[in-house]
Amino acid sequence: MPQIHASNSVWPRLEPLLADVRKPARYVGGEDNIVVKDHASTDARWLLIYPDAYEIGQPNQGIQILYEILNERARTVAERAFAPWPDMEQLMREHDIPLFSLENHLPLRSFDAVGFSLAAEVGYTNLLNCLDLGGLALRAEDRADDDPLVIIGGHAAFNPEPLAPFVDVAVAGDGEEFVLELDALIADARTRGTWSRSALLAQVAEIDGAYVPAFYAPRYTADGRLAGTFPRRSGVPYRVPKRTVSDLDRWPYPRKQLVPLTETVHERYAVEIFRGCTRGCRFCQAGMITRPVRERSKDTVKAMVAEGVANTGLSEVGLLSLSSADHSEILGLCGELADTYEGTATSLSLPSTRVDAFNVELADELTRNGRRTGLTFAPEAGTERMRRVINKMVTEADMLRTAETAFANGWRHIKLYFMIGLPTERDEDVLGIAELGLKVLAIGREYGRKNKVTVSVGGFVPKPHTPFQWCAQDRPEELQRKLGLIKARVASDRNLNLRYHDPEPGLMEGLLARGDRRVADVVEAAFRSGARFDGWDEHYDHDRWLRACEQAGVDVDWFCHRERGEDEVMAWDHIDSGLERDWLWSDLRDAVREKPLDDCRWIPCYDCGVCPGLDLAHQTNHDGAPRRTHLPLYAGQS
Amino acid sequence: MRVRARYAKDGRLRFISAIDLGRVWERALRKAELPIAYSEGFTPHPKVSFPDALALGYASTGEYVELTFAAPVDVASAVARFNAASPPGLRILEAVEVVDGAPRIARWLRASLWELRYPTQHAGVLDGGVRALAHAEHLPVDRERKGTSTRLDLKPALHMIASHEDAVRVILHHTEPPFRPTEVHQSLCTTGGLTALEQPRLVIRVAQGSAEPSGLCEALTGQPLPVRPHDHTAATS
Ligand code: SF4
Repeated sequence: MPQIHASNSVWPRLEPLLADVRKPARYVGGEDNIVVKDHASTDARWLLIYPDAYEIGQPNQGIQILYEILNERARTVAERAFAPWPDMEQLMREHDIPLFSLENHLPLRSFDAVGFSLAAEVGYTNLLNCLDLGGLALRAEDRADDDPLVIIGGHAAFNPEPLAPFVDVAVAGDGEEFVLELDALIADARTRGTWSRSALLAQVAEIDGAYVPAFYAPRYTADGRLAGTFPRRSGVPYRVPKRTVSDLDRWPYPRKQLVPLTETVHERYAVEIFRGCTRGCRFCQAGMITRPVRERSKDTVKAMVAEGVANTGLSEVGLLSLSSADHSEILGLCGELADTYEGTATSLSLPSTRVDAFNVELADELTRNGRRTGLTFAPEAGTERMRRVINKMVTEADMLRTAETAFANGWRHIKLYFMIGLPTERDEDVLGIAELGLKVLAIGREYGRKNKVTVSVGGFVPKPHTPFQWCAQDRPEELQRKLGLIKARVASDRNLNLRYHDPEPGLMEGLLARGDRRVADVVEAAFRSGARFDGWDEHYDHDRWLRACEQAGVDVDWFCHRERGEDEVMAWDHIDSGLERDWLWSDLRDAVREKPLDDCRWIPCYDCGVCPGLDLAHQTNHDGAPRRTHLPLYAGQS
Repeated sequence: MRVRARYAKDGRLRFISAIDLGRVWERALRKAELPIAYSEGFTPHPKVSFPDALALGYASTGEYVELTFAAPVDVASAVARFNAASPPGLRILEAVEVVDGAPRIARWLRASLWELRYPTQHAGVLDGGVRALAHAEHLPVDRERKGTSTRLDLKPALHMIASHEDAVRVILHHTEPPFRPTEVHQSLCTTGGLTALEQPRLVIRVAQGSAEPSGLCEALTGQPLPVRPHDHTAATS
């Protein structure tokens, strides 16, 4: 059983080292709204880890929400840890300091459950580093029976196979109800004094949504394809369903959001105004795996904002979701919040990249007295043909009209997001990105000589549980060539700012996203040869990853650049996101035929499979008003 | 309405930078719902000004701030509300209302009383080192900057120095360039002859004010703080 002693705190040994590391505030805790409990009076102890630097991980909503709901239980404690920056890692290894929590500065091994939140694949080597620094064997099978449980959640858990050997449990979907059910099992085992990881896992596997990789084994065909991932014992499901919280108003978290002492990427009180998205963008994994749409009511959001601001002293409020302008009561919500905070120093923000006048109207509302600098839109592709393929239904006329409205209303800088490397893409689609950017800039010029346009271009990475899961990913060389086309076209214009990323990390992201259990050896080899912080340009080393692939005998080409057949078994087929495979395939066929599909919030259900499986329907429109009266979805589009 | 306060920065908060501390102040003021005044413009800033910045890692009971409120506040209850809203490690110790037109407090911050707390095994030797520093004519210290080392004389900045158990207390004039407690430590190791002296485990700025023959005259209250703590019961926390 994991041992507990307050005297286990690493603080006395850590404190003298803090003078020698960059940004020591990353390691001290002490934030406003931190919960520090005495472990002696608890039955279940969780360590929640976001495997990236503190300033990236601290604002993470998933960690924040689970931290609160676990700590609300009197006999449960949840603490947090983040990946130490390499300077700190080196000192920790020199001084034999294990990975520690920020609340009581206790070593990882003093916890019963270690839960990682994985928003993206780039955290995988940091996850291994956290386990290693915590004194755990990397592979679950090599760990002792009294070691803590290692759990992963977050979007990346929808294909847990590349991490399968390292974790005990993976859960896809919403974590709120799941952690409480798991917490009850842990507390029970602890109070009975019979902590055994193997015995506990048998019970955990019975929780809805729990995937225990040790209870499943992949089988491969003679030519190296996956034949399937099959249960190794009776009583575990063939396909593990994702978890879905049906009524967000019953889970009004965060209430007492942790406020960092030092700068982080988002310093705002953040409230999710809804989860899920059914716009049906075919490249978007987040939209596909979080269906259906579940809104928070306007009143709940307003109450959360009032309480959240009072509890934190934060001056910015973020109304988050995958496409916040789509909330059925958004105009009223923004207007009422803007009324409440008008004339105060509290500002509101709404991440929404929808290309229409309504989005501009909302942005105007939220900046009544404020500065109108940058507005962001995501047409995602350069031509209407390409946009029909990815189901991002924006006409060029929409884009230009929207830009016109924005510049006319005083916005000075428009940012446009695009992807290259999309299925069926031709050079004219790529060039269309540059053309569209230049056209928007030409409109901007009419409203001000100094108005600017930023064109941001990313390489497309096919993701599991999307219609594009069968598609080949472009090679980095090909993406470079396509970037070159755009660069050449826009080079001369100083007011058009082109931003792009090096395409090489995207290749590894693709491998980790669609890899099977064999790819775990790559992750381990990369970690052992020093890979850390792969999401950071200054740390990412492509050659190291290629060597790791070679060492593990994994053919990147085969995993990433090969088009897969309709019947090919995917590494994530046993994780049930609710989406029918047949529907995903037919949506891919529609994509290739350049056939768009409207949002099932405003057209009849087209049976993607999610709602009946969950016994749920969209939860929108709390005020009972007719649907979508304020604006057509796509201005100028039938 | 202007209020001037002396505050403490210690505990975990020692490890945040001066810029971060400014944000922590802003949030605590907002959370305490105190009517702080804001600057005009698109990005209004609260009117909170800090005369100087404490280096990261040091604790302090001698930091100062000036606040401008948009409406009158009762100073005592404002302090209580602020201290309830601020994170551990930040608290106002004393506050007074300032009349309009009064000069900024920076003018009264001419010297700092520092306390360097050493690992206890060094307690016995500190006094010898301190005496050597007090009697030396010059205190050469080397300062590394951008790869080049400059030699400076600490002595003119050193007003008084004393030891007490495991601590060395020193009053340094605010000179240009300013001297830091690390350079006092360096001097103890060299001129003071304490070659085996380890780094202090904690450095505290006790207060700021003006250097007087009796010690330091604290800037906000005028309270005299002798360099030897046992000379005065209220000298340190
Ligand atoms: S099941 Fe129907 S209504 Fe539900 S998300 Fe899928 S298409 Fe939309």
